[in-house]
Amino acid sequence: MIQSIAQKEFISTLRDRRFVVLSGLLLALLLAATLVGRGSYRTLQHERMVAQQTVNEQFHNQPNRHPHRVAHYGSFAFRPRAGLSFLDAGLDSFTGASVFLEAHQQNSVNFSQAQQSGSLIRFGELTVAFVLQVLVPLLIVFLCFSAFTEERETGTLKLLLSQGVSMRRVAWGKIAGYGRAVALVVGPALALAAWLLFGEEEFAHNPDVWVRLALFVAGYAVYFFLWIVGAVVVSARQRHARSALVLLLGCWMLGCIILPKATANLGATLFPTITKAQMDADVHEAAQKGINGHDPQDQRSAALKANLLKQYGVDSEEKLPVSVGGLVMAESEAYTSKVYQQHFADLTRTYERQNAISNWAGLLNPYQAIRPLSMGLAGSDFAHYVHFQQAAESYRYQLVQRLNGLQASMGYGDKERKLDAATWQAIPTFAYQAPPVGWALGYLLLPALALLLWAVGLSWLGLKLIDNTPVV
Amino acid sequence: MKIFWILVQYEWRHFRAAKGLVVLTGLVLLVGLYGIYYGTTELARQRQHLAELPALARHNVEELKTKFPEPADAGEIGYYHTTFAVHHPLPWAGLSLGQRDVNPYYVKLRLLGLQGQLYAAENVNPTKMLSGNFDLAFVLVYLFPLLIIALCFNLLSSEREQGILPLLLAQPVSAGVVVGAKLTFRVGLVLGLAWLLSAVAMGWARVPLDGRVGLWLALVTVYCLFWFGVAFIVTAWQRPSAFNAVALVGVWLLLLVLVPGLLNVYVAAKRPVPQGIELTVKQREQIHGGWDKPKAETMNRFFALYPQWRDTATIKERFVWRWYYAFQHLGDQSVQPLAAAYSTGLRQRYELVETLNWLSPAINVQTSLNALAGSDLPTHLAFQQSVVRYHDALRAYYYPFLFNKTPFAHADYAREPTHTFTSTSETPTAVQGLWKLLLSTGVVGTVGLLLFRARPIQPR
Repeated sequence: MIQSIAQKEFISTLRDRRFVVLSGLLLALLLAATLVGRGSYRTLQHERMVAQQTVNEQFHNQPNRHPHRVAHYGSFAFRPRAGLSFLDAGLDSFTGASVFLEAHQQNSVNFSQAQQSGSLIRFGELTVAFVLQVLVPLLIVFLCFSAFTEERETGTLKLLLSQGVSMRRVAWGKIAGYGRAVALVVGPALALAAWLLFGEEEFAHNPDVWVRLALFVAGYAVYFFLWIVGAVVVSARQRHARSALVLLLGCWMLGCIILPKATANLGATLFPTITKAQMDADVHEAAQKGINGHDPQDQRSAALKANLLKQYGVDSEEKLPVSVGGLVMAESEAYTSKVYQQHFADLTRTYERQNAISNWAGLLNPYQAIRPLSMGLAGSDFAHYVHFQQAAESYRYQLVQRLNGLQASMGYGDKERKLDAATWQAIPTFAYQAPPVGWALGYLLLPALALLLWAVGLSWLGLKLIDNTPVV
Repeated sequence: MKIFWILVQYEWRHFRAAKGLVVLTGLVLLVGLYGIYYGTTELARQRQHLAELPALARHNVEELKTKFPEPADAGEIGYYHTTFAVHHPLPWAGLSLGQRDVNPYYVKLRLLGLQGQLYAAENVNPTKMLSGNFDLAFVLVYLFPLLIIALCFNLLSSEREQGILPLLLAQPVSAGVVVGAKLTFRVGLVLGLAWLLSAVAMGWARVPLDGRVGLWLALVTVYCLFWFGVAFIVTAWQRPSAFNAVALVGVWLLLLVLVPGLLNVYVAAKRPVPQGIELTVKQREQIHGGWDKPKAETMNRFFALYPQWRDTATIKERFVWRWYYAFQHLGDQSVQPLAAAYSTGLRQRYELVETLNWLSPAINVQTSLNALAGSDLPTHLAFQQSVVRYHDALRAYYYPFLFNKTPFAHADYAREPTHTFTSTSETPTAVQGLWKLLLSTGVVGTVGLLLFRARPIQPR
């Protein structure tokens, strides 16, 4: 019986001109968003790859130089875009693309897409994820608001129930039928996305991307399911189609437009962010005077020098086999980097607290559960961004320390000499390894759980409500 | 006329009786107040951050004074001394924050090459930037249309569906007066709310009372009227309530979501911006090349730009600061065309949006409000220009010390140039936006009237 009700709903939906027009538009949008997303992904990816190669070659082809000069010359780390980010650009437009890696200081990640456009970008970008998260629920609302109200208004509901079916089974039949209709709209776009991915050498044999895509699709399936169940339940509980529609539209606006912005803003108000200027000053202060304020840099350097003289059993710098300058530099870099890491961790924790309000709101609002889940699987969320920043910093630190080591081994009077150009060729360049899906899932437990809770809760509670609904 | 006012009065009673609508209106009022609170406190926070910068700069000077107790080489000072270029907001920015969170509102500067410092990003949570600002402009541009839709989607259709319309039209009253009275009441309610919120926001933000108050109110009013025009067209079409709701939400989606999204894609494709990164990479290459080039070559290129220092001592030392700063500046000079192309590219992008924003009155109003508040891209570009000039002034201040080998004394810190920049309203952009908005509202109103004339009201 459920099957035939589902079949009836599916067929009558396909016969509905409004649905055909709306879903045709949506399908076109989805396909366009997939292709446009793919296009911009490839452009940006190419630009960044070329830029990374350029700076790598520049680094390797340096002339004879003193290692500390090379440390100041530094290098750049470009953030490659994640494989699935063409489906969900997530934070990518608002996070920078590159960071300058040099001795003594940690620079910000600069040149975000948002800085390169006017306020138009704040209206939101047309990505596949946006269509799936915001527009498909709207289609579901338009599709389902009259699921029961229409049957009730035309009197067919009574006839249907007189066949001996329970309200609950009718509801499941309708949910299955609408589910098929929605799959018909969303399916082709996701198939296109999969096909595009498959055509790409880099991803065709990368199981990580496929697991991510599978979970991505599964997440959206649950999201659509709970919207359909919710809409059918509202339709059953409301007397008139009109009030069902208004109620559902109200939920959509609250969930997809108002709450996400309000919670993000609330988070930022509750947990204020330290400015870059203040943070730099704090890092500088702690590095100069010591983390606890009793360990100033001058003293640290003097102690290091005294130790060296004692260790080698000599009485002056000139007789040392190593360069004191290089070792002092290495010590100071290690210290500053430690201080910086502490401050950076604090900043990240502030952001995470701000985001937590939004993420917990996922328990109240499924949109705020699917959004982080989708971004996380696409590799464009905050956790992935921090991962890149840390990878860049750890490379910077290793690079600078390696150069400091080279300087130390040059012995006394290193400043008057240079190292051979071949030295730079042996230094490895920055290569970013994006984290695997297992790592990403660790950050996505809350949204995934919230989404499942919604789906289970709605099916259980909602259908229980339907059971108790008077037929007339 | 008397009947008209009786009808308006009855609409008020109807409205009071409809709990849902009262709650909704109250909710919009609360949300609007939250928007005002958020916008003004966010701006207050930015102001506070700006106010803290001088203390950081002073602290840096104190540290340098301890490090160099005697008059020192100005090159050393310039290397370690940091100062700030600051971008103060207009009070209006509290009503429409625009891009003030995306673009940094201060730049930390040293005497080194400018292009490596100009684009540093500020600490901002990207997740928050993605969600956007909940300011008054957002409430007016995004949510007011939804309120108007909720008030108007069943303007006549509900009366028809409840069977009241035939009774009403059997009275000696024309359909035009009925619709007119209903619309008048709703326009009064919505505009009252919009003006109330605007007035509260202006008072709270302490904006100066000048022509911009009128401009803001005009933009807001005409934008609301535009949406009433859309609702009027749908009413004149005379379809069932559910259809009206779908149609109106469809228009909202089109103008606030689809057109901006597509326009974004179009603008990015049509005006590709030369990547800013190319500029920094090239500047680094030039500056560090400076170390390896013969000093005479570098200095001659520098003297071509600054002939007044040509007669200073020839450099024989292994390292000397004036040579160091000379090649820093030459690094900036060499990427000058790229820097200009970058900012021109950004401006052209903005202007393309300006010429196309008639496609969606929502984009038009948002950019106009941002222009009025001085919180969009052009203001930021103007700020960056002022930073360039400030950096020039700093160099001009330090060069005599460097080239005349004058020691930099403690008293010289206080004589150093300082920087301040305050946003200005881009009033012409906002006025132009108002004209375009009047035009779109006129078109929508005319279409509505024509449709209303052409299709007599069906009682059933």
